[in-house]
Amino acid sequence: MENHKNHHNDDQHETHHIASYKEHFSTLAALLLLTFVTVVVSVFGANLATLSVATALLIATIKVIVVAYYFMHLKYEKKIYSWLILLVVVLFVAFTVITAIEYLNR
Amino acid sequence: MEHATGFILPNSGHNRDAEASKMGMWLFLFTELLLFGGLFIVYMVYRLMNHDAFLLSSFELNVVMGTVNTIVLLVSSMTIAMSITAIQKGNSILSIKLLATTLILSLVFMIIKYFEWSSKIHHGLFPGMEYYGNLPKGEALFFFLYFFMTGLHALHIIIGAVLIAVVIYRTKKGEVHSENYTLTENAGLYWHLVDLIWIYLFPLFYLIH
Repeated sequence: MENHKNHHNDDQHETHHIASYKEHFSTLAALLLLTFVTVVVSVFGANLATLSVATALLIATIKVIVVAYYFMHLKYEKKIYSWLILLVVVLFVAFTVITAIEYLNR
Repeated sequence: MEHATGFILPNSGHNRDAEASKMGMWLFLFTELLLFGGLFIVYMVYRLMNHDAFLLSSFELNVVMGTVNTIVLLVSSMTIAMSITAIQKGNSILSIKLLATTLILSLVFMIIKYFEWSSKIHHGLFPGMEYYGNLPKGEALFFFLYFFMTGLHALHIIIGAVLIAVVIYRTKKGEVHSENYTLTENAGLYWHLVDLIWIYLFPLFYLIH
């Protein structure tokens, strides 16, 4: 409905930055390296049980950020998407922390 | 493509809004994140309560198969991201080839998953089986969550694969092209979400020992 008010025909073409094949390939290389690290830490650092879980989750989080930033184009996207994702993440972390506190104090 | 009439009704059905379409996809992805997020919280609580049983059970899972599937999904994420680059540059044929590669990789993922699940089911670890019923409570919970979460994830893989097939079909028909590739972008976003969830599932189930 509101389309005709502020719709400029050329807008859609101008705002899109095209990510290069090379950038996508480098992203994959980084992700594979992180996967390798997380498997090695888990298999060979088995005696450091708690440390390896924390490390695995940290590496997973880095991988997720890399996927979102490069593959999901957040790098070139409007800032509103990043803010919305941050909101969802904060919501989820809040639920997790509250639940964890509840169970750890039993 | 456009008729030279110089007059198009505001809502005659010919206008698209790529931005709104993408925003809609993201909002849907947030609901998916919270769906799996809830399950991760369930996992966390049961793991806090059954720490040793979870560690013990995770040895039953095959780290090699898990790692191979992680690599398969990461590569498929790259190919679908590249297919968007290709369609933006107007190279429909390359875009279709990259989408088809992604589709094949999703099939590889499901085949590996099939062998993993069959070996677990062969050992009687599927909820409801006799061996499963005799497991200690903590281990039973681990395998229940394993089958439920990887099963829900596999369902998402299947939905994603169907979506990618639709994109290939519509790109072939010329409905998706360098001026209108929202469908490719949204399929890509969905596929990356499936990848993101696996990035967490993999260490939490396979690598916790």
